[in-house]
Amino acid sequence: MTEHPGSTGRVASGNPRLDAILGGGLPAHGINLVVGPPGSGKTVLAQQYVFHNATPQRPAIYLTTVSEPLEKVLRYGQTMAFFDARAVGRAVHYEDVGGLLGEDGLTAVLERVDALLKGHRPAIIVVDSFKALTPYAADQGAFRRFLHSLAGRLSAFPVTSLWIGEYDSTELSTAPEFAVADAIVSLSSDRVGQRELRVLQVLKLRGSGFLSGRHAYRVSEAGMEVFPRLADPIDAAAYSMAAERVSSGIPALDAMLGDGYWPGAATLVAGPTGSGKTLMGLHFIVSGARRGEPGVIATLQENPTQLQRIAQGFGWSLAEPGIELLCRTPVDLYIDQWVYEVLAAIERTGARRVLIDSLGDLAFAAGDETRYREYLYSLVQRCSRLGVSLLMTLELPDLFQVTRLSEQGVSHVSDNVVLLQYLRQPAVLRRTLTLIKTRASLHQPQVREFTITPEGITLEDEILADPASPARPQPTEATAPVRPSS
Amino acid sequence: MTAGGMMARFSDDQRMTSPGGHRVYSRDQVEQLRFVKAQIDQGIPPADAHRLLAERAAAGSVTLGAPEAAETRLLILLAERDPYAAELSEYFLRTEGYEVAAVLDAAEAARKFDELTPSMTVIDLLISPGGGLELCRQLKQRSGAPVLAISTLETSDQALEAGADGFLQKPLDPLQLVSAVKDLLGASAFLRPSPAGRR
Repeated sequence: MTEHPGSTGRVASGNPRLDAILGGGLPAHGINLVVGPPGSGKTVLAQQYVFHNATPQRPAIYLTTVSEPLEKVLRYGQTMAFFDARAVGRAVHYEDVGGLLGEDGLTAVLERVDALLKGHRPAIIVVDSFKALTPYAADQGAFRRFLHSLAGRLSAFPVTSLWIGEYDSTELSTAPEFAVADAIVSLSSDRVGQRELRVLQVLKLRGSGFLSGRHAYRVSEAGMEVFPRLADPIDAAAYSMAAERVSSGIPALDAMLGDGYWPGAATLVAGPTGSGKTLMGLHFIVSGARRGEPGVIATLQENPTQLQRIAQGFGWSLAEPGIELLCRTPVDLYIDQWVYEVLAAIERTGARRVLIDSLGDLAFAAGDETRYREYLYSLVQRCSRLGVSLLMTLELPDLFQVTRLSEQGVSHVSDNVVLLQYLRQPAVLRRTLTLIKTRASLHQPQVREFTITPEGITLEDEILADPASPARPQPTEATAPVRPSS
Repeated sequence: MTAGGMMARFSDDQRMTSPGGHRVYSRDQVEQLRFVKAQIDQGIPPADAHRLLAERAAAGSVTLGAPEAAETRLLILLAERDPYAAELSEYFLRTEGYEVAAVLDAAEAARKFDELTPSMTVIDLLISPGGGLELCRQLKQRSGAPVLAISTLETSDQALEAGADGFLQKPLDPLQLVSAVKDLLGASAFLRPSPAGRR
């Protein structure tokens, strides 16, 4: 709890990401509304605040009205990891004012709040549900008078209020409680394909900035877990300017690249199924790990057994030191949570290289092209700032004639683009590799045939005259090694 | 409120009856009744009077309802803009044993100051638009009694320039309020030996 008694302090939730969204926390000594449909996690969020901040000296009061019985609040509350049964009755006081409401109406609630402020001197007071109080007023004028009186009492005391309610969006502009609120946090659901995506949004926050937009969240036994929307601005000053190149793990490709990738570069490896994209990614990760550069394999394609089998075929092991495997299935993946998992894995392992296999699966999981582009762009930016080199695979639908590469702006955010293709020839299937783009670097604009041998990808010396591809390689401008550029 | 009404708040196990069937009150209960009545006579809501009684009893105060005790307590003049804040501050100061006279207007505060000669004054600087700082100056010119300025706005410099001896930003934490009052008075609520020593 923020110590300062003024209006600019913040009450932390105990969840750093949620506090970051709220610019540090909910306004201390303010009236904070948490709104959303039943089952959206409002009560969980309120109790998280309660148990994080309450002390025997400055306790929290949790008032239930006539919406959810106190028994249920407690029964389900105690399944949460943050719920401390020993604090109940000492630092956290639950009370059902539904009976008072039924007998003496809103006046009784005012008197009870008054008594609790004087008797317990609480730091936090929760009213759950606040909206359920509305029918107890004779008319709208009476409810506004009650609201004014309650807000007056609460504002005169250094207590942070959380009012919980099942309000819908149409009530935001009409219900008077929204006008007196210092902060409004909305919990709702978005339909993404066949799945529900829970969304937290700050609709109002007096006194400081906050992270705007729709932030994904989950409710688990640990409480509310929030994944702030990644919307990283370009920050050129923060980018790595290391001079030493990063090997692709394929010596001949390094030579084509002018001695490898720039550190922190994002490389897109695009090609049809079976063309060797995953293998190229494994080259990148395994060679890095063997050079003392830890790597993370974030795969949505193969399960660990399948991937290990592929690696073993080339004499590698994913159990080698410096390799972290992050396997997720795209059918049950939320892109927000996944990006945070990848970032956490990078931080935990000190990774210098990351393989994302594949972007198509990620786009499928995102369900929304805008969110997909936002998250991918932000992930690329963050990796770049950290000096973490990224290799992303993208499956192309065309087996022989690549007609389109820039799906959802992926090639645009990539520094390097490597195109793998099949070459149709009688009785034999040949593979080619083309460097389509290398940002801030010279490269050999050649089309090289490659084979997959027990050692992995081997580039042939032969330079094909006609790769049967419309995506003719173009030399990029040689400029100073700075990122990002367009 | 009648004595019976006041006593209705006492629990049944505190009640005794005489052989003739009449209700008998112990000396302590009579003292408690006097205390509650005295609070109500001073304008304290009955519910708050009983809460005060409970807090005093819990604190082990031995001067609950003694009439002479009230006269030896220090008086604080509370000049507040906000009636809710005034009610809370008055309550918390009374729980510490201080006498409190609360007013919601600067002119009334000046008049009460002359009439009651309080031991100290708490002034909300936003009372009677623009009147708080002027009230500080006036009261400091009239006596050496300490003034504690309070405000929602962080205006401690202006308050001290106007003669205030201390400043607290609202909303007031009860412990901070009581602590500041004790510091400025240099005494607890009960240390005044006689009414003559009030100032």
